[in-house]
Amino acid sequence: MMMAKDSGGILKWMAEYDRRYVYLVLFLVMVGPLLRPIGMPISVSPDTVQYYNVLQQVQPGDKVFFTLNTEFSGYNEIQSGIIATMRVLVEKHARIAFGVAHVEATVIPELIVKAVQAEMTANDYQYGRDYIILGYIFPNEAAVAAGAQDFHGVVTQDWLGRPIAGTFLDEIDDWEDWDLIADFTTGIATSFLINHYALRGTPMIMNCIGIMIASEKPYVDSGVLLGLLQSMRGGAELEFLIGRPGPGLTAMDGFSFGHYALIIFILIGNVGYFGYTRQQQMRVDREAK
Amino acid sequence: MAEILKNRQLQIIVMLLSFLFVFLPYFLNVPQLNTASTKLITITSIVTAFTVALAVLAQFRRGINIINRRSRGWYFKAYMLMTLVLMLGFSLISRETGPYHWVMFAVVNPLSSVNYGILAFYMASTAARAFRARNTKALLLLLSGFIVLIYQAPLTGAYFTGFEPIALYLGSTFGLAAGRMFLISVTVGAIVFGVRVIMGNEPSVLGLSKEE
Amino acid sequence: MVDFIEISVVAVGTFLAMSMFSTLYGKSSPLYALAEESYIGFATGLTIIWNIDYIWKTGIVNIMAGDWVLLFSILLGAMMLMRVHPKYGYVARLPIAIVLGAQFGLSLRTIIFTGFIQQISATIVPLFTGGTQTLIYNWTIVICVIFMLTFFFYTIEMKGALGMSARFGEYLLYIAFGAVFAQTFMGRLGLVIGFLQSYTIPDWKTPYLLASMALVLALIMYMDRAGLLEKLTPEE
Repeated sequence: MMMAKDSGGILKWMAEYDRRYVYLVLFLVMVGPLLRPIGMPISVSPDTVQYYNVLQQVQPGDKVFFTLNTEFSGYNEIQSGIIATMRVLVEKHARIAFGVAHVEATVIPELIVKAVQAEMTANDYQYGRDYIILGYIFPNEAAVAAGAQDFHGVVTQDWLGRPIAGTFLDEIDDWEDWDLIADFTTGIATSFLINHYALRGTPMIMNCIGIMIASEKPYVDSGVLLGLLQSMRGGAELEFLIGRPGPGLTAMDGFSFGHYALIIFILIGNVGYFGYTRQQQMRVDREAK
Repeated sequence: MAEILKNRQLQIIVMLLSFLFVFLPYFLNVPQLNTASTKLITITSIVTAFTVALAVLAQFRRGINIINRRSRGWYFKAYMLMTLVLMLGFSLISRETGPYHWVMFAVVNPLSSVNYGILAFYMASTAARAFRARNTKALLLLLSGFIVLIYQAPLTGAYFTGFEPIALYLGSTFGLAAGRMFLISVTVGAIVFGVRVIMGNEPSVLGLSKEE
Repeated sequence: MVDFIEISVVAVGTFLAMSMFSTLYGKSSPLYALAEESYIGFATGLTIIWNIDYIWKTGIVNIMAGDWVLLFSILLGAMMLMRVHPKYGYVARLPIAIVLGAQFGLSLRTIIFTGFIQQISATIVPLFTGGTQTLIYNWTIVICVIFMLTFFFYTIEMKGALGMSARFGEYLLYIAFGAVFAQTFMGRLGLVIGFLQSYTIPDWKTPYLLASMALVLALIMYMDRAGLLEKLTPEE
């Protein structure tokens, strides 16, 4: 009994430490490697390979619907996958239309185009002929469904109000005319795209945030989605596969350390629990008897 | 006219017709019907966009109430309303450059990111305090979480390949099954709820009380 | 050469972001309120702008091009706004009925396939053919789905074989939750790292990030010691 009381010190701290230590350590292990990158190796998961294989099948001139179902926060998590996918599509000379389902994402295409500017220039990409930014065209499910059935009945202008007539979108009437949907998502209009495009047969791949992996995997398993790139790690793996390091691979050091920090904190918590809290509880129980 | 608009039966009939007009053409390949149905869907998308105004109005009312009551920190609400109006004004100047563009990257971008990113800290702190092997269920949760966490850290994935098959197995079987089970449950729930609304058994959705 | 506008974007952005992070200190603060209200105000303005934009481009532009049927959308939308009027709120009932009916139609015609039929058929996998790994995966999926589903049967009494099945399903769910938790943490971690990356690359941004961190921390600690935190923070 006395032992439990005396061993309070370190074990008690392990059981009851201030949560702000967790915040501080997590912050430091993430910022540190960003300031001084180490460049650790990574492995590639089968899901990323499957996504990569779908991208490899894109043909020159294919019409790709590049949908951004994300806020800025989600963009930060999956930007590596977005940019790496865009690089592949540009190098394959696909024609790309950016559609947006969150008001914050209206300026994200600008960031993506800036990130792959070199490839776009090298491949002579021209606005309207090879790519177009449509802006906020998915405010709700009805808008997605209407666009799948009569594209020009819903989308008349690009994001700055310029008519889309005369662009490559003249070749789009409905869901059948898209060769691929590449969806980057935190979950806003993704189920609508799945229901009104992919279910009908439009090929669709997805890069989702970590919280969505479990809910989107069943769609891949049932064949509705052709590939699923998972969170920032999936993006880093894609960068590795295409041989173009970007924000994903740069972030992987902090990513590893962040995971290890959590594992260590869980271990400390368990040592504290079995070494102190549980002993205390047992003592109280014995005294009560 | 007012009596017609207030009529509950009429509302339910209109809703049912609207439902059928969208639902049936999907399964019947009649071009004229499809065109008309698509038009109704487009109208729905536009009307739904109007509803945002209701949310904004509620936000305004709440803000103005706080300002009128001079509650502690009321000036923050006044500031919020001012930023809202400013944003509307900025958008009229230009959306490619200028103050609108500045606000998007200096204010909206970082705050949106932190708003969700902060959850990583809460999750870590909660896990550190709650993930304790108190009983068999907690132990199972802890073990599977532990294995997937170790695998997800890219460094371990690269050097300790033994974790990979187990982590992939957990994600592709247990994780997949849980996701599928939730998807099926939510779908069944949504279908049942939809049928109840269409049959008029959920009047509150239409803004009606049970007595009406 | 970095221009003043770019510097101001980074300086203001890092300060506001750190102000929002200040909630991790464990106490409400006026800095957090400033960040929160900035986000609500600007983001609400943004939502209004883009929804008006959608109404304009999809509704008005098409009407001006001769698609008169879409006039109904503007009329119904205006009726919808009457919802807030204490006396004439009933005017909104008609558009609500139309919109709800159409949305249920849209949803039900598809989710029955993607969320139900295809999920059930994907669960009916070969249990006796294929390699060892495939068999292990398939058996696990089928067992998990069946037992986990029984855990969620709330309409019948859980006893006998069903009760055992539900209890076993609960254990399987805990294993799944562990994996899902890890995936979720990975996502949130990626989100913070992505955010930090945007303020550490290129190098010139880092001093602003570090300075903002130090400044916000110093301000919060000062206000805490001076008893100003509660005084200056808005009422809930």
